[in-house]
Amino acid sequence: MEIEIVDYKGTKVMELSGEIDMYTSPELRRELMGLLHKKVSPLLVDFKEVSYIDSSGIATFVEGLKGIKTYGGRLKFFSIPDRILEIFNFSKLDRVFEIYRNLDEAIKS
Amino acid sequence: MRDSAIITIPSHPKYLAIVRAVTGKMAELSGMAESAIEDVKLAVDEACSNVIKHAYKGNVNQKIVLRFKTSPKGFEVIIEDNGLKVHPESLVGRDLEDIKPGGLGIHFIKKVFDIFAFDEKKKKGNRLRLLRYIKGKDGD
Repeated sequence: MEIEIVDYKGTKVMELSGEIDMYTSPELRRELMGLLHKKVSPLLVDFKEVSYIDSSGIATFVEGLKGIKTYGGRLKFFSIPDRILEIFNFSKLDRVFEIYRNLDEAIKS
Repeated sequence: MRDSAIITIPSHPKYLAIVRAVTGKMAELSGMAESAIEDVKLAVDEACSNVIKHAYKGNVNQKIVLRFKTSPKGFEVIIEDNGLKVHPESLVGRDLEDIKPGGLGIHFIKKVFDIFAFDEKKKKGNRLRLLRYIKGKDGD
């Protein structure tokens, strides 16, 4: 898994690629918690290049969502591949995460 | 078609990618549909993650043995460890409506495998049997 944090017109975007599993999710958690510590909001997460996610990755994002809400922040996901979206849907997390089709929609919402 | 394979991995999360790769190839050999193969890969990954977390309590220097078998009946994976006994009654996933970190892995396993059973005859450690019956021509 690779994580890149970019600044898109003043908005922080976390670009993820590769596989998020029990091995890689601790690194994701560190990055995410680091941004939350700085009270970043909104935080956008680009899933376009994510090929796999397991329950540890999902748990990391649930924790991130809870953390960002403590200071009234927003966590927005976009460009989620169908397979990953299926996992979010099955877990009923599509109801709690803000999910957008692309970066523009996520920025404008 | 009958195929079989056995792999032994250290109980380190970095080997989960190998588990997924072998699971995917064996599921492919069984003729499973692509979407089902992805479900099976996730389920076997979750079962091995549970071994690392619960049976070995995060000890990364132990062993996990996976036995794959395909047959006209279905796709079977047996996962063995020498860790702490897992009490099946304690393996209850969280209520899916109750959004909190954790407790999803067991749902992913039970979604895809028809049989999820611990061998009670194994004295030390755990032997988990997962079986997915062949369902229709596309495996869904």
